Amino acid sequence: MPVYLDHAATTPVDVRVAASMAEVLRSETEYGNPASASHVYGDIAGALVESARRQVAAAVGADAAEVIWTSGATEANNLAIFGVAQYYRERGRHIVTSRTEHKAVLDPCRELERRGWQVSYLVPDKEGMLDPAQVGAALRPDTVLVSLMHVNNEIGVVQNIAAVGAICARHGGTWLHVDAAQSVGKCPIDFAGAGVDLMSLSAHKTYGPKGVGALLVAKRSESAGRGRVQLTALQFGGGQERGLRAGTLATHQVVGMGLAFELAATLSSVETARVARLQQRLWRGLAALGGVLRNGSAARSVPHVLNVSFEGVEGESLLAAIRPHLAVSTGSACTSALAEPSYVLRALGRSERLSESSLRFGLGRATTEDDIDTAVTILAREVERLRQVAGAATVK
Amino acid sequence: MNYNDLTRRYFESTANVGELKGPDVFRGAAGNRDQGTWVQFDLRIKAGAVSAASFLAFACPHTIAASAWLAERAVGRPVNSLLPVGVPELRDRFAVPIEKMGRLLIIEDAWLAATVAALDYRESAHISDRGE
Repeated sequence: MPVYLDHAATTPVDVRVAASMAEVLRSETEYGNPASASHVYGDIAGALVESARRQVAAAVGADAAEVIWTSGATEANNLAIFGVAQYYRERGRHIVTSRTEHKAVLDPCRELERRGWQVSYLVPDKEGMLDPAQVGAALRPDTVLVSLMHVNNEIGVVQNIAAVGAICARHGGTWLHVDAAQSVGKCPIDFAGAGVDLMSLSAHKTYGPKGVGALLVAKRSESAGRGRVQLTALQFGGGQERGLRAGTLATHQVVGMGLAFELAATLSSVETARVARLQQRLWRGLAALGGVLRNGSAARSVPHVLNVSFEGVEGESLLAAIRPHLAVSTGSACTSALAEPSYVLRALGRSERLSESSLRFGLGRATTEDDIDTAVTILAREVERLRQVAGAATVK
Repeated sequence: MNYNDLTRRYFESTANVGELKGPDVFRGAAGNRDQGTWVQFDLRIKAGAVSAASFLAFACPHTIAASAWLAERAVGRPVNSLLPVGVPELRDRFAVPIEKMGRLLIIEDAWLAATVAALDYRESAHISDRGE
């Protein structure tokens, strides 16, 4: 199998997480419906769910009562954006987001535009960073929501969410939603302290299972001066999760997410330092090839993501050449036989060609120095070969 | 993107890459790197036939493989203004998706530019020999 360097897409389930989930699935006492209050089976399952809720909350500086389980970050983003838009539609119909958000934010915003809302798309600088002042300048009296990601999934840059939170707090009636699907275990998250009203989380980016995530909904008191965000539910049918997300909870899934987040919080500092060393090793190796451009701010990124563009190499050929050896993401979305260049890299000002010839390396817990060295060796060989084929020779 | 065996073989073990030099070498290129596809053929012509061929391509695997295959097949063939095989046959041999047909036309344009250069040279040389 190729070396797996795509942890920003998804991570393998931690064996301890898998064991905890399997235990729930195999148990003769833990299969109850967590919402069944009439018997002990429901009590046992409910206790497991609440324990996982506390684990998730603790990992991100939130209160357990602020955790709403969802099927993943995409659903959480949809619930936050449509939920706020619907609830506050009489107050205003303007949303602020950025051009480099995940599709799970951009597509709901596009849909709201089709329904009559207005959306301002902030443009980051060439390193992918937003100036919080851009948010302040974009706010209008009818702005009900600012939706920005914490850690960018393609380039790894970390936005200054606390500064944006302070701006939103001063602008009455504007709620802040943060997509933090990539953040947990990679950089500190302080949900309560950052002035964030809504935060989307995903389990499978953090060595948990696919199919489960959460939306944090701040329970800020009115006395805190900001009030408490309200949402209109998007699905109905049982009143679970404070009426915001109906449906029977998958106990084993949330148990897995709870443990995955607890492990991430425990391992974060040591693991981040180790991954940072690996990322430096990878970048040094790639930079030595010449004609390799780093995408995103090196100083303001998590070390788990390294995105680079290769000059003089055609994107599809680059991916085809390394695919047997390396599992990485390309800077283009292959929605058809013809790839489309990454809109994130295009927003940073990268040309179409360089966007297409970019690769995202996602480093993770299982990544070793040998993996990095293999990646550098493969890329050195294939980039040189493709440059020769292209007549680009050495780009140094 | 999936590639058939022929495409993968000629893409991964690309031969005849580079440029030829000499007065008997004729070059043709088409496409544009900025547009994503550029192909160049060099043909060495001796006694009206291709004695050597090479190519360069900033292009996708299908285009690189088809160009490499054409350069290999060209040797020994009489120079004329046709591809050794037509675009439809190239498409079928390399299982090129319909969305990429334009890239095969770029290959054809590059090839024709090289062969036309050779034929023009031969024609002008012939005219010169006759003192016209």
